[in-house]
Amino acid sequence: TSTVLSTKEDGSTPSAASTTETASKSQKDSAETPKQKLLNLIGNMKVEVSSMKKFQQLKKRETSKQSATQREGLGGRSSALPKAAEDFQRSKPLKRELVEAASAVASSLPLNKEQTESDLLAQLRRHEETTDKQKMGGIVNIRNVISDMTIKRESPAQRGARISSLISLELEEDGKRIKPERLGSHVVKYQISFSFFFVYRSLKVGRRLNIFTKTSPDTEKTLTTASAPTIWDLEFAKEIAAVTEQPPRNGFEEMIQWTKEGILWEFPIDNEAGMEDDAEFHEHIFLEKHLEDFPKQGPIRHFMELVICGLSKNPYLTVKQKIEHIEWFQKYFEEKQEFLQEI
Amino acid sequence: MAAAALGWALRAARQVLPASCTRQVRGYYVDWRMLRDVKRRKLAYEYADERLRINAIRKNTILPKELQEVADKEIAALPRDSCPTRIRNRCVLTSRPRGVKRRWRLSRIVFRHFADHAQMSGVQRAMW
Repeated sequence: TSTVLSTKEDGSTPSAASTTETASKSQKDSAETPKQKLLNLIGNMKVEVSSMKKFQQLKKRETSKQSATQREGLGGRSSALPKAAEDFQRSKPLKRELVEAASAVASSLPLNKEQTESDLLAQLRRHEETTDKQKMGGIVNIRNVISDMTIKRESPAQRGARISSLISLELEEDGKRIKPERLGSHVVKYQISFSFFFVYRSLKVGRRLNIFTKTSPDTEKTLTTASAPTIWDLEFAKEIAAVTEQPPRNGFEEMIQWTKEGILWEFPIDNEAGMEDDAEFHEHIFLEKHLEDFPKQGPIRHFMELVICGLSKNPYLTVKQKIEHIEWFQKYFEEKQEFLQEI
Repeated sequence: MAAAALGWALRAARQVLPASCTRQVRGYYVDWRMLRDVKRRKLAYEYADERLRINAIRKNTILPKELQEVADKEIAALPRDSCPTRIRNRCVLTSRPRGVKRRWRLSRIVFRHFADHAQMSGVQRAMW
């Protein structure tokens, strides 16, 4: 609901003002060509005003006209007041230099100084707003989006094939006869979808639309390489879990809870549940390689071979424990070496 | 006798501060005998492997007897409480040394008490 005030209004007000100030104008006829350009620029400036504000402006104009007629005979002041009110609504203040420049330009012009000054300030403010918007993320221009889309031309043969395939699919799914009306709507939808056919040769072809902000790889890296969760994080997570958990609604959820806790086994039953033996069977059974440090002959060897036989049949110990067992014996017999040699 | 048997309501003893840790230890075993039994179990667990190996040397007909005598002396040198035979399966609630069923670790009186109050799963009064 935005309306664009035409150039006539802007043109009319300076003309109205100029009629009152004919005397001052006649003096500056000589140096008017550059100023006329400025005037044309100002005259060509278009003001976008919303409908609500327009009503407010009209009201204010009436009040300002009344006040103007009461105070002075100038009619050109009417437009200045609502615009000034509009400008006051803007939160961001302009720079002092710009304001001073605007006032200087306004003073140099032969027209109503206050009105031109307010116009210029309003224009500057709008310009700042647009620059801010563009700095933020860029305006999504629908024209840019649509320009990249091309309309695909369907040949009648292809269209017929498509429709027939559509028909066959629909019939197979439903198993019923589809009404021609519904079919027609489907066909229409199909056509509409084909009219906006995207060019999919490559993803990076074409002008950038600035819809999505690009994530830098640094932020990604920082996200992935987060430090190990602290105790406080763990505690917080536990707290959240404790607060959010609900009592089980049915027997299935109860069984799930028990399985998570470890009360219930997992089905189908895994015979090796809880057993984390990474070693192969040959490491359990063929333990002779650990007997290299022992003497080849004698009672000790005989004894150790029996020990190994027993260990190979033991399913409860891990390979590490078995090796430790043998090493203990080795150490023991080394300590008793001198004693054994006496015998 | 009856007072001792039904003494599970009385929590008499406190756990003794072990010599190693300085922080205050709070816990209630039913009596000191239970505490001593707990200590014996811990030590027996620690020395279990060593005892097994030394006994394997001792109970042997292949190794020379001198070696076995040395092993005898070694095993005798181990702490006395490391012997598993010194562990007594006491009742868990009353510390009663006798009349304890192994499956429930409870003495017969406590077992009867709980079974009559229907607090033992799958236990029913026999009638045939």
